[in-house]
Amino acid sequence: MENAYTKGIGYFRTMKKSTDKNRFTMIHYIPIFCLFSLIISGIAFAGERNRVLILNSNMATEKYSLIHKEFTSSISEEIAELDLGGKEIDTTEIGERIDTINPDIIFCIGSRAYLSAFQTAGDRAIIFSSAINWKRLPMRKNTYGVSSELNSGMELMMYHYFFPDLGRIGVIYSLKHNKEWLKEAIDNGRDLGLTISGRPVTKPEELPKVLVEFLPEVDVLWLVSDPVVISSKESVMEIFRRADSLKKPIYAYSKIFADLGALLVISADVPTMGVQAAGLVHDLLTNNEIPENVVTPAGSHIILNMKKVKEYGIDLNEEAMDSVNWMIQ
Amino acid sequence: MEVLRKRINTLKKQILSGKSISSFLAASLFFYFIISVLSAKEITAPTIYFYNPEANINNFALLKKETDSYLSKFGDYSFQPFNDKNIFEDSVSGNKEALFILSSWHYNTLREKYPVKPVLIGVSKGKSTHKKVLSVKKNIKNITSLKGKKIASAGNREYTRNILMQIMGINSGEIADSLKIMPVPKDIDALMAVGFGMAAAALTTEESLGKLRKMNPKHYQRLGQLGRSRELLLSVVAVPRHLNTDDHPLIRILSKMGTESKNKNMLRMIGLDGWRTLTQKELDILGQ
Repeated sequence: MENAYTKGIGYFRTMKKSTDKNRFTMIHYIPIFCLFSLIISGIAFAGERNRVLILNSNMATEKYSLIHKEFTSSISEEIAELDLGGKEIDTTEIGERIDTINPDIIFCIGSRAYLSAFQTAGDRAIIFSSAINWKRLPMRKNTYGVSSELNSGMELMMYHYFFPDLGRIGVIYSLKHNKEWLKEAIDNGRDLGLTISGRPVTKPEELPKVLVEFLPEVDVLWLVSDPVVISSKESVMEIFRRADSLKKPIYAYSKIFADLGALLVISADVPTMGVQAAGLVHDLLTNNEIPENVVTPAGSHIILNMKKVKEYGIDLNEEAMDSVNWMIQ
Repeated sequence: MEVLRKRINTLKKQILSGKSISSFLAASLFFYFIISVLSAKEITAPTIYFYNPEANINNFALLKKETDSYLSKFGDYSFQPFNDKNIFEDSVSGNKEALFILSSWHYNTLREKYPVKPVLIGVSKGKSTHKKVLSVKKNIKNITSLKGKKIASAGNREYTRNILMQIMGINSGEIADSLKIMPVPKDIDALMAVGFGMAAAALTTEESLGKLRKMNPKHYQRLGQLGRSRELLLSVVAVPRHLNTDDHPLIRILSKMGTESKNKNMLRMIGLDGWRTLTQKELDILGQ
């Protein structure tokens, strides 16, 4: 049975036969045509090279996929994409794939993507995002990023907007990780008429004792990202159990704490971070001045636990409700 | 339900045993009736469609949950928010029974494309209008100095550019085009973005700026204002022009929303306190 393939060969044969009489037949043009096509496509490929590569630690992670989507829709450049997707891709292979794409800028989503790019991307500009505690990341002069942590002043303003009567805020922290951050937060709180007091811990074992002593002195406990304080699931459960027994609300930074009973969670709005990263790419591609290599998130995402508001009898500024993204009730 | 299940089982047994053709026909008619009832219900369930380019609303899930829960007390109504203008407009064009909640700015462009009419207007603190204000870092003294700078806004890019042109004047098109608009979720985020250095300017409502003054007077003092828009109407509820709105149940339900305190939260998510019928002046502004 004749198929399209045999038809093609047949046609080629027919064509050859019909031109046999000619000294310089069509067949002689084919290698020249192929060579010419290769040169043209090579030039075209070089001209249409993707200048931006998104290196995503794992597209299956909701927040990584959200920032990826927002970034892509905020940028007019053609973009190459590489999803590490939890696969066991070694750094050498990632480096090879980056070299093949040959972008000018690599936008990394998640710490894994950033660290891989940092090792393999040579002198290309790298922009990180969704990396926890970016200050611990290795950096170069041409490293840029969108921090995942909101400015403490922004957080406190939002907090104060919701709960103007809860003015004594307590923070349990480690000197090693949050000494400077706390100093800044105290200053920002002072501007708002808030009293922020800190109680340092040097090791996780000190936490239960500190909670017993410290919780009665404050109106609310501000849970911050600190590996000495939040050292295990047990330590988190201990914090929530002790605070609840004294009806002390907890104000936290990640939605995982909302399910455990935090009164208010204020975190960075992920889509806005994608928009900000796209802004950095635009500035780099157009040689605009970039005042700060790492920008603070400009949007907030707020979860309010109305169950706790009612249970603890807390006064809430109802005007603030237009800022809530999710409510637990 | 139990009776229905027994009837289905009986019909199934009769068909399987091949007892009678009439049983098969009865079963077909019965299932046809059930399917018809169900699909008719699906098609005719009145829906409120929502789209607002003035607010970068990213709490759709909560907004839908709260509004659906409120509407379900009155009947089989539903609420459908959109974040894409084109899809929303497709819904307007293809729907003869629905209600649409949209910004007055969008309404003015929409009414030129589709036959719609406004039936309710949103109010906040007793007013049906608001002004947009352009706040900047104190060191930016005039519109020209804004060229190429980043501006934070809770509205979408198209809306923000349009209002900026209104504030900055018709001759400032080049500056408006050079601005890098950074959409943020809330007005208060936009104002904080200026204070904390993520943007040079913010376009927000006057009301939000007033909130900032109360929340953090020091932060407020770091900002200057370069201009204000004219009074802009708040969101409107519109319906297809042919729709008979006399004693329309959904319009009645919406107009009463603001009178019950438990619904206030839902309305605040879209920046309102309630809905009321439009005055002749408001209808005139909306080209009616």
